[in-house]
Amino acid sequence: MAGIGEVIEWARHQVASRVPKADLDQRDPDYIREQLPGTWLLASLYFRADVRGLDRIPAEGPVLLVGNHSGGNVPPDTFVFTLAFCSYFGVERPFYQLAHNLVVSAPPLGWLRKFGTVAANHENAQMALESGAALLVYPGGDYEVFRPSWERHKVDFGGRKGYVRLARDAGVPIVPIASVGGQETALFLDRGQWLAKLLMVDKLARLKSVPISLALPWGINIGDLAGHIPLPAKIVVEALDPIDVDADDDVVHKKVVESLQAGVDRLAAERRFPVIG
Amino acid sequence: MRVERRCVIDADRDTVWKVVSDPDCYPEFMASLERWETLTQGPVGKGARYTVHWKIGSVPIGGVVEVSEFDQARDLAWIGISGVSLRGRFRIRDNGDGHTRVVFRLAYESAGSLLGLIADRVAARQVGRSMTETLKNLKRMVEP
Repeated sequence: MAGIGEVIEWARHQVASRVPKADLDQRDPDYIREQLPGTWLLASLYFRADVRGLDRIPAEGPVLLVGNHSGGNVPPDTFVFTLAFCSYFGVERPFYQLAHNLVVSAPPLGWLRKFGTVAANHENAQMALESGAALLVYPGGDYEVFRPSWERHKVDFGGRKGYVRLARDAGVPIVPIASVGGQETALFLDRGQWLAKLLMVDKLARLKSVPISLALPWGINIGDLAGHIPLPAKIVVEALDPIDVDADDDVVHKKVVESLQAGVDRLAAERRFPVIG
Repeated sequence: MRVERRCVIDADRDTVWKVVSDPDCYPEFMASLERWETLTQGPVGKGARYTVHWKIGSVPIGGVVEVSEFDQARDLAWIGISGVSLRGRFRIRDNGDGHTRVVFRLAYESAGSLLGLIADRVAARQVGRSMTETLKNLKRMVEP
């Protein structure tokens, strides 16, 4: 069956060629400034968000912000934190976010590039840090973001720790960003890794999961490619103490995950009810 | 959006001014203050700059402000340089019998046309509450 191999190769090329090359100049501070009030309304009224500990982030210079990721393809923690960062340090401070290939290449999401969102790969990340910017990464990515809702307070990077090498190479500290609430914006049931393998999108589009969830307005939501309407779950985000990369990768990785997990546990302990907070 | 709160304090103008003009007092009497840093060296006065953020809604809002008026025991005004467009003023006047009338004004305007206007209005309630609280704190600190 030579046909299937060729089709896979063709499809892979189609996706890869649509991933825009990262151009840090596409970030537009004026655009961000104009979007902040709308974002603030959504974060403050709908998600009743609360962001703490921003003073723990070094006030200047490059820094790697490492968060736990929640909320499927509509992750409220990302935009709440972006709002907080831009408001606290000003839109003038360069700040980039890494996102999945499919996110940055989706035509309706082109505006994300003006916010400083670039495709997640080592070169782009390095380029951002070398330019002196702050960089937000979610190592757990599409693996962690689709964990079942009952594991919502579990930090799980799925074994990914390339971010430590990234910080080491760039010589920047890591600031863990803990957040809770995102996984309550829909009822996530299964990562659907078996479905991804079955449909072969793991090879075609670097998509390791085809998640299954109950979400508005779809009911049963498979894939979440079109996104969904998140429930108004209370989102709490906290920046934790910076961690220097002064030991080998596994040790630093362990430190970061432990710090994140402790932060998430602390924030989770304050919650009385799911969604309501 | 302009928000104003006023109060009468049972102390003379100089006593009130001592607190209002002292940057070190701000973390104590300014309500909802999340970040307060002095950026310029030298004595307090016109041209001095500070970073100020109030926790309004979900995140700290503010930026760098510069003192634009520093009129001994009468007026202290500032304008925002970065972040949300902002003007603020403490207006301190005699109210007879050794009492002082303090007017605290904040005028702010966020970017982003319609959503900006809505955000300004939504924030106004909380801003107003914080300002009331600020004047209460000030009163408590200076009244004998």
